[in-house]
Amino acid sequence: MYAGVDAGASATKVVIVDEGENIISHAIVPSGINFKASSEEALKKALERLNLTKRDILYIVSTGYGRKLIDASAVFSEITCISRGVHKLFPSVKTIIDVGGQDSKAIRIGENGRVLDFVMNDKCAAGTGRFLEVMATILGKPIEELGALHFKSLNPVKISSTCTVFAESEVISYMSKGCKIEDVIAGLHNAIAERIFSMSSRIGFEREVAFTGGVAKNPGFVDALSKRIALNPILPKEPQIICAFGAALLAKKQFTEKV
Amino acid sequence: MSGEKSRSRVLQATKKIGELILEYFARASEAKAQGKPVAWITVFTPVELLRALDIYPVAPEHFGAMCSARNFIMDYLEEAERKGYSQNLCSYSRCGLGYALSGMSGLMPPPDILITFRNSCDVYVKWWQSLQAHLGTPLFVGEAPYVLAPEDLDNYVLDYVVKQLMDLIKVAEEKFKLKFDEEKLVEAVKLSDKASELWLEALRLRRHKPCPFGGRDSASDIFPLVVMQGTREAVQFYEELLEEVKGKVGKGEGVIENEKYRLLFDGIWLWYAFDLIKYFEDRGAVFVYEPYSEAWAYRLDLSKPLESIAKKVLAMGLNVDIDLRIERFLKSIKEFDIDGAVLFSNRSCKSWSAPQLVTAEIMGDKFDVPYLIFEADMADPRQYAEAQIKNRIDAFLEVLRER
Repeated sequence: MYAGVDAGASATKVVIVDEGENIISHAIVPSGINFKASSEEALKKALERLNLTKRDILYIVSTGYGRKLIDASAVFSEITCISRGVHKLFPSVKTIIDVGGQDSKAIRIGENGRVLDFVMNDKCAAGTGRFLEVMATILGKPIEELGALHFKSLNPVKISSTCTVFAESEVISYMSKGCKIEDVIAGLHNAIAERIFSMSSRIGFEREVAFTGGVAKNPGFVDALSKRIALNPILPKEPQIICAFGAALLAKKQFTEKV
Repeated sequence: MSGEKSRSRVLQATKKIGELILEYFARASEAKAQGKPVAWITVFTPVELLRALDIYPVAPEHFGAMCSARNFIMDYLEEAERKGYSQNLCSYSRCGLGYALSGMSGLMPPPDILITFRNSCDVYVKWWQSLQAHLGTPLFVGEAPYVLAPEDLDNYVLDYVVKQLMDLIKVAEEKFKLKFDEEKLVEAVKLSDKASELWLEALRLRRHKPCPFGGRDSASDIFPLVVMQGTREAVQFYEELLEEVKGKVGKGEGVIENEKYRLLFDGIWLWYAFDLIKYFEDRGAVFVYEPYSEAWAYRLDLSKPLESIAKKVLAMGLNVDIDLRIERFLKSIKEFDIDGAVLFSNRSCKSWSAPQLVTAEIMGDKFDVPYLIFEADMADPRQYAEAQIKNRIDAFLEVLRER
C-alpha cells in the first residue's frame, strides 16, 4: 500500500492506493496551523477505515504547502501530482484547472501525464478558495451552500474588484442595497471564474479539460467557469483528493523503481 | 527532489564585495568632508564624466539594493510611506526618498547635485524632481532618446546626447567652480573600458560546463561596474575575479558538483532573498546567464571619449528596443546552452517586467525552452511570498526533470 499526503493551505488530504493503483481509502481534514498534526490525523483516519496502521504503508509522497513539514519518503510539487492523478483517471485530459485554498493553477499535460506547461495565480488571493471562504463568512452562509444558491440567481451582480478586501466591500454594498443573496453569490462565482479564465488563457483550453481542487466541489463555481470557457469539463467524483491520489501513484512508482 | 543537496560555492572575489561597497561609501563621505561635490546619480549616468570633473558619484538605487540585502531597508521605505508615498511606487525610489526625508545620516552622504539621465527607467525624472523639491539641491536632467535600432547610436541621436554631456560639464564647472580635465576623462574611459572587458570575458566563461560562477556572484559583482567605473579599484577587482574564474574553468570546478540544469534569470535580483539562488543550486540548477549582468558592461573607444560615453548612455539598460533585447535573449539560449528560464516579474520595475511574457513566448516557440514567471519586488521584502514562490520553483524544476 502507498500513501499520498497533500498538505494544502486549507485542507490536508490523504489517499491510499493498492498495488493495482486503485484508491482504497481517503481522508480529508482541515490543515489548521500544524501540517504535521493534520497529516498524521488524515493518515490515521484513512488507515482506520482499512484496519491498517502506518507500518502497512510502503512509501509516502507528500505535496502541497506543508509538503516539507511532514514525514514522507519523497516530496513532489502539486503540479506534478495533480497531473499524474488526472491522467490516471482520465487519460484523454490535456488541460487541468485546479482551484485550491490558496492557489489556482492551470496545467497543460502531454503523453503519459507529463507536465508541458503550467501557470499559477500571482500572490493575490482573488481566484482561490480563500476568496470564496471570506465571502461566505460575510454572507453568513456555510461554504457548502453557495453552490445551490448560485442556481437560484436570475440576475447576477457584477463584482468588479479583483482584490479580496475590495470585493468584500462591494459585496457588503450590494447586500445593503437589497440585492438578493443568490445574485451576489452568482456574481462572486462569475468573478472568480473570470479571474481563472484570464490566468489560464495563456496555456489555452485544449480538450478534454478537467477541473480539480476543493473549489471544484462547488457546483456554482463549476457552472460559472464552464460557461466562461464554453466547455463541459470532466469532473472527478472527489476533485479535492486528486492531488493526493497523484502523490500516492508517485509513491508507488518511486518505491517500485527503488526496489 | 529531496536528498540531492549539493554544495554551493561563491567566488572569493564576491566575498570582498561587501567591504568594497562600505569603502566606496566611506570615501564618499571623506570627499564630502574635503569639500568635494557629491552627486546622487541614477545608475545609467556616465560616471566616467564625473571622474573627469572630480565629482564623487553615489547611486540611491545601489544604496537601496544594499539596504535591502543588509536587511535595513524597511526604515527608509516606511519613512517614505509615512510621508505619503504609495507602496505601489518603485521600492528604490521609496528607499531613496525615505533616506532623504529621514536626515541622510547613514552611509550615503547628502548630495550637492542630483544628476539623472532619461534613459532606461520611467521613474527617474519624477523621482529626482521630488528629491530636489525635498532637499532643494540643484538638479541636472539629461535626455536620451529611445534606441530603436543599432544604427541610431551613430546618427543625430548621438550628437544630441553628446550635447547633453557638454551641458552637464558646463553646469558642473559653473556650479562648483571646477575645471573639466580631458586627460582625466581619457584615463577614466580607459579604466572603464578595461573593467567592462574583463567582466564580459568572465561572463563568457560561464558557457563552460560546469559553470564556474552563478547568480550569487553575478548579482553582487556588477556593483563596481555601476558606480566605480573609471577607477583603478574596479579594474583590479575584475582582474582578480577573472583570474579566479579562469582557474575554476581550468580545474573544471563548477558552482555545484552536479550541474543538472542551466538557467537564465531575467530581472534585477531580489536583494533580500539571495538564499533563493541557493535554493535552486541545492536542486542542481545553476544560473548561467542574466541580461542584468551585462547591463553596465560597455566597451568604450579611447579615441572618441565623449561620443563613446554618449553611446553608452543610449545603449545601457532598457533604453533599447524590445527586439534588440529579445535578440540578445535568444542568442544566449544557444551560447550558454540554457535548459530553462526564470523570469522575475518585478513590481517595482514595469519597464523590465512588461515585455517578459512576449520574450518568454518567443523563446519557448523558437527553442522549446520552458520558463517560469514569478512575481515579487526587488527590494521590498513585504512583496515576497516565499512559500508560494518555492512552490512554483519546485514545480518548474520537476518539469525540467521530466523533459
